[in-house]
Amino acid sequence: MPSENSMAVTSARAHVMALPLSFQLHAVWRFFDRVYLWCGYLAGFFMVLIFAVTMLQIVGRYVGYNPRGLTDYVGYFMGASAFLAFAHTLNRGAHVRIELFLSMMGQHRHWAEKLSFLLSTLIATWLAYYAWAEVYWSFTLGDISQGMDATPLWLPQLSMAVGLSLMALAVADHGLRLALTGKHGIQTAPEVL
Amino acid sequence: MDHLVFFSTLLILLAILLGSGVWIGFSLIALSAIAIEVFAGRAGGAPIATTLWSSSSSWMLSSLPMFIWMGDILFRTRLSEDLFRGLAPLMGRLPGGLLHTNVMGCTIFGSVSGSSVATLTTVAQMTVPELKKRNYPEKMIIGTLAGPATLGLMIPPSIIMVVYGAMTNESIAAISMAGIIPGLVLAAMFTVYVAVTCSFMKDFNPDVEPVTSWREKLSAAQHLIPVIILMVLVLGSMFAGFATATEAAALGVAGALLLACWQGTMTWDTFLESLMSATRTSAMITFILVAGAALALAMGYTGLPQLLAEWVGSLHLSAFGLLMVLLILYTVLGGFLDGISCIALTIPLIEPMVRHAGIDMVWFGIFIVLVVEKAQITPPIGFNLFALQGMTGHNIFKIAAWSFPMYLIMLAMVFVMIAVPELATWLPKQMIPVLPTH
Repeated sequence: MPSENSMAVTSARAHVMALPLSFQLHAVWRFFDRVYLWCGYLAGFFMVLIFAVTMLQIVGRYVGYNPRGLTDYVGYFMGASAFLAFAHTLNRGAHVRIELFLSMMGQHRHWAEKLSFLLSTLIATWLAYYAWAEVYWSFTLGDISQGMDATPLWLPQLSMAVGLSLMALAVADHGLRLALTGKHGIQTAPEVL
Repeated sequence: MDHLVFFSTLLILLAILLGSGVWIGFSLIALSAIAIEVFAGRAGGAPIATTLWSSSSSWMLSSLPMFIWMGDILFRTRLSEDLFRGLAPLMGRLPGGLLHTNVMGCTIFGSVSGSSVATLTTVAQMTVPELKKRNYPEKMIIGTLAGPATLGLMIPPSIIMVVYGAMTNESIAAISMAGIIPGLVLAAMFTVYVAVTCSFMKDFNPDVEPVTSWREKLSAAQHLIPVIILMVLVLGSMFAGFATATEAAALGVAGALLLACWQGTMTWDTFLESLMSATRTSAMITFILVAGAALALAMGYTGLPQLLAEWVGSLHLSAFGLLMVLLILYTVLGGFLDGISCIALTIPLIEPMVRHAGIDMVWFGIFIVLVVEKAQITPPIGFNLFALQGMTGHNIFKIAAWSFPMYLIMLAMVFVMIAVPELATWLPKQMIPVLPTH
């Protein structure tokens, strides 16, 4: 049966030809996963800083050591610990979305899912753009914190711009994985809250 | 009329976004952008970015990651084992037997944990296998876990109360204190229910616990000392004005870390796991919260909440009537959204209305927590149900049916709260305010 044979050859050839591209893509995806993770570690570091500075404040109050603006710094750390973790949180499936209707769609699910990734990518990109605009204006106008710390605001706001950009990348990235492989590659195990 | 069209358009849009699986944070932000750009005819990007920054980079909000981290560390300690060992000899001979360790375990763990699912999983780790071994009916074991685990949210610290406080600009410490008495009343109602049903249930004949002397009871109760110290550290410091909510939360993290080291369960790996898990949970909640803040901003531009408040005012609805409408609204919403998302979505719209009706916002915080958390144990979206499904392998509808009596008790508690609002409002007034730092 020649037809079957040639089909097998074609599919084998297609497989060989597809290999380098998908291999490269998987390497890129693994790299992105690692970027999200390391940015997540950075967020975790800011979380430790919130803890350390707050403890310093408690101890400081009783020994009469009250450096100015500590509460403002804790605020910046709070922002950084959240924004920088956004992409990693998405990558690990910890951001919440409603999957009830998706699961009700059965075999048509992937269409709705692709739509949701597309919409999310648009929103995330729009948001990241304005986060950078915020940093730009704070820098250009020389905005300074109104608190005791007098920090130039663009510096802590950088965490928002970086975090939201990375999240836009993550949504687009997982959307692309879905389009190419049929799996978005987000871990679905929910976090213990 | 224009407003009505606009409002319905927004609702439909929201339903499409959420329904197609767009992340809740993104959905709320898209809604805000459209409300500002299309309805108010202003540029939306810059004010939304500013709001995202100002609502997240707040010192007040930093109690959120700290409370989450504390709970996460404790989840990885042997606290659940200690709870069971300490409580079992005390409760074993009561009518209902060891089922009370579920209720009491959740009550006690709720005072050091800010979430319902964390409370559930921590307590269940120990009680589910132990109670099964002693032939307790499965339906009671699971029912008395699903309901009382919501005490993790009622009894401070409570993550959802931090979110509510941040969204309404009310004192997080005051709201936390307000949850204590209603939480204890609810626990008492669960306890009475367990004792009464078990006395009348025909197929309730678990292994009888051995009689223990007072000396044995006391020595077992020593296992509860660590958790009580933590509770006093966090709630006591907040109540006595030694610490703000953020500081109390940081003290809680310190206490939890010390406890884990003392028990020998703290390794570098568990430390990193707890830190990263807490970072993700905190990021997830912050995302919803900042999106809720953007929505509040957008609603301010449109003037819709004010109109809604005036419209409700013109109906001459009593405060009770308004609360009943909200009760139904949240019951429906709770079928699709988790509690925190419910609050982020609705507070921007209903806050002026509730204030206008003269309802105390601290009291309303406890009301809303109770109402949205009932939904934790109702299908199709109930996080406690999913957690129990994961742990026991039973179908969520079966678990929901088993915990239905607990749902009714929580519903009854809503009316108790309305009848006796002092349950929530009395304790915050007794608090000693924190001395200003500067």
